[in-house]
Amino acid sequence: MTVDILKPKLNGQTIVSLAVILVVGFLVLLPMVFLVEESLNVGDPMAFPPQEYGLANFVSIFEEDINVLFNTVIIAVMATVMAILIGFTLAWILTRTNVPGRALLERLMELPYYMTPLVGALAWSIIAGPKSGFVNQIWKAVGGPGDLVDIYSHFGIAWIMALFEGTVAFVMISASMKSMDPALEESARVMGASKLRTTLTVTLPLVMPGVLGATLFVFAEMLGSFAAALVIGIPARIYVITTAIWDSTLSYPPDYGRASAMGLSLFVVMFAMLTFYRWRINKGSYATITGKAFRPRPMDMGGLAWLLLGVCILYVALAVVVPVGALLLTSLQRFATVILSQAEWTFANYQTALALGPVRTALFNSLLLGFGVASVGVLLMALLVWIIYRSRIRGAGMIEYLAMFPQAVPRLVFGLALLWAWLNIPIPIYGTLWLLALAYLTVMLPLGVRTLAGVVLQIDKSLEECARVCGAGWLYQMRSVTLPLLRPGILAAWLLIFMACVRELGVSVFLMGPNAKVIAPSIVAAFASSGTELTAAMALIQTATVVVALVILFRLTRGVTKEMS
Amino acid sequence: MNPVTRIDVKDLVVRYGDSIAVNGVSFTVGRGEHLTLLGPSGCGKTTTLRAIAGLEQPSGGSIRIDGQAMYDAAARRNVPAEQRGVSMVFQSYAVWPHMTVFDNVAYGLRVRKQSAADIKTHVERALDLVQMRHLADRPASKLSGGQQQRVALARAVAFSPTVVLFDEPLSNLDAKLRAEMRVELRELQRRLDITSVYVTHDQEEALAISDRVIVMNVGVIEQIGTPEEIYNRPASRFVADFVGSANLLKGRRAGPDTFETEGGTILRIAPGGPEAGAEVAVRTAYIDLVPQPGDNQLPGTVRQRMFHGDFVQYIVECPAGRLIVRRPPVNLLDEGAPVTVSFSPEHTVLLRG
Repeated sequence: MTVDILKPKLNGQTIVSLAVILVVGFLVLLPMVFLVEESLNVGDPMAFPPQEYGLANFVSIFEEDINVLFNTVIIAVMATVMAILIGFTLAWILTRTNVPGRALLERLMELPYYMTPLVGALAWSIIAGPKSGFVNQIWKAVGGPGDLVDIYSHFGIAWIMALFEGTVAFVMISASMKSMDPALEESARVMGASKLRTTLTVTLPLVMPGVLGATLFVFAEMLGSFAAALVIGIPARIYVITTAIWDSTLSYPPDYGRASAMGLSLFVVMFAMLTFYRWRINKGSYATITGKAFRPRPMDMGGLAWLLLGVCILYVALAVVVPVGALLLTSLQRFATVILSQAEWTFANYQTALALGPVRTALFNSLLLGFGVASVGVLLMALLVWIIYRSRIRGAGMIEYLAMFPQAVPRLVFGLALLWAWLNIPIPIYGTLWLLALAYLTVMLPLGVRTLAGVVLQIDKSLEECARVCGAGWLYQMRSVTLPLLRPGILAAWLLIFMACVRELGVSVFLMGPNAKVIAPSIVAAFASSGTELTAAMALIQTATVVVALVILFRLTRGVTKEMS
Repeated sequence: MNPVTRIDVKDLVVRYGDSIAVNGVSFTVGRGEHLTLLGPSGCGKTTTLRAIAGLEQPSGGSIRIDGQAMYDAAARRNVPAEQRGVSMVFQSYAVWPHMTVFDNVAYGLRVRKQSAADIKTHVERALDLVQMRHLADRPASKLSGGQQQRVALARAVAFSPTVVLFDEPLSNLDAKLRAEMRVELRELQRRLDITSVYVTHDQEEALAISDRVIVMNVGVIEQIGTPEEIYNRPASRFVADFVGSANLLKGRRAGPDTFETEGGTILRIAPGGPEAGAEVAVRTAYIDLVPQPGDNQLPGTVRQRMFHGDFVQYIVECPAGRLIVRRPPVNLLDEGAPVTVSFSPEHTVLLRG
């Protein structure tokens, strides 16, 4: 005979759980509710609550903004194709061939991501702008007619997006190449198939689902891409949906209804695509792609290996070395030129950048926000992760879903939603750093929770249980076992959040007030109003901050892996 | 069995959501006894152990240690793990990688706020038991699997617990090391006055190191007994099949101590046993291929011979069906040779229907 369950452990747990759900839900979902409501507002766009509801805002996307949709799709398609080609080639070279210096190259592949698309776009406008662009300067100097290249074009925008936002394609495709059991290929070889035949009949078909998945994922990301379209597209009068959203909030009066309708549509399209993608992945129609990581035996490419090395180096050059070099060169001159004999060298741009009140404040604000949000955020997220994965509380799955939700919303759309929500929520923090801090904290939730969860899940549960059985209470166990083991992960999460805050653009452009400026939107503003030389200096200062954090992170994670092995 | 009961588990039920992992399990463990829970994965043995440790919350029944209720559904009492005073060795060892060997072993003593001198004495004694004293200052992350296993053992006994729980402690070691550790573990159990509950899916290990064995399957107990009882007198088809290797012959009980197989052969069976039963078990090791007086004897032919080294396995065709027979690797018989299959009624065990 069995007795029924002890009365569910009230209620401290239930109350904590409920409180967490409410707070996270308030931060994450409420802005989206405001966004939906405003998108249906067809009366005075500034009225809250709306006086009239209707679908006019959505209809007008297809009537007035059809060229925006056209631009968005064509640029996203071009960028996706380039990103997948680059990603596939690099993934194949680095996982399946004996290219020299593989380990180092693999690390270098991460760099373009840390460059940020904003900095990348600035750099490429310097490299390939019409007339004064470095490539065209050289072209002219050797007597070429007109301009050789022009980055201010659909292709140019797509090119920058592919270089700096397409790195995820490399990561995803190489993951699917690594997760293939080499025995599948080996058995084809044993049956008498040649290298080429094996590649065509076994390798490619098996990798294909991974590539298609990556294509879908990258395309969705490209639809919501903002930085390159902002820096390059607006001067070139090429508007995509993200820049159109931004633009509508700048008009007088701001057309929040139109912006919300576009933002919501973008969100729905991207969400549908990503959901479809996840569904495909989870369905696991290809059982060969397991979670297990194999190290496939690399193919011996002979002398060709050096050519492949050249391909990798070319990519790193285009995405990192040349852009940084161009920025550096520009920032150190009075008038940017690549013809070094004409250069007037100066540190004035750095002095100006660091002395100029608004820039200095913006940089200081960004660092402040980075420190604050990372420090508070890590504690909150550690608590969240513990609740989600270890507490066995009811509603843990719900909390996880809420915490990961901001990831599903394009950053820019979330920024818009936050803007509209906080204009109307009667807590007077709009236009202050507090709102930015709150917004950063909200959009960093998925990053922080994912990073910390990775660490928490790696810690064998029995390490904690053993402490309890040895007689340690909860506090003593946390202090002596859990926290020391979590420390490297907490530091890593702190640095990642710090970096993400310092480079944040999508949310900041909407929420920055005249008295609360941050660095990334200030760089954009400087690019539009002052010279490229000053902007280059600012971009490099921001990049340097991120790089310092990155170096510490690498040091740290390497130390950790060494210790664990 | 020792007359003093140390652990008393009654009608234990553990649920995970809708599924029932342990469904009404009752047993006692005497002072100084070494009891093993044996069964396939998912049979509820580890869950039972974790419930005793306080790491799983049961939903019914009671667990008493030294007469004190650690869990009692009726009284709504559940003592948290850290206050139960039991110790445990985990399957993954759970040796803390951020501490030295010494710190790992000293943990339970430090929690109990012992003096530094006492801690040192006890840790050294524990490390001596597992021959690890020379590595006391080594970071635990720099230990081999076998060494981690020893540290986990030393840690579990260092604070002189009266009950130690073992959750498949040897399953991550390679076969040779496992055999060595088994010997050491048995030695350790004898030297320390501890009561232990041991969980394993390895039947050989269970038989070798236990005073008593509990065979579990799908959340319930199949049989409790000494290793010899479990092996010689399996109570059910599951036990006969899971522990050791046995031939199972279908048929029906024909009389007080006879059994008629499906082929019509009459076998004499061991006295006692269940009233009804449709199957007898004969251990492969207890069948002789030379007729012995007083045995069940059947004519047969060798169909297959497989040489295993420690033994030879024959498949013999006889009127009762195909029998697997394991003999010492001497006097090998050829395939096709006529033989007389011979096994004692004592070893012809009627199984619970």
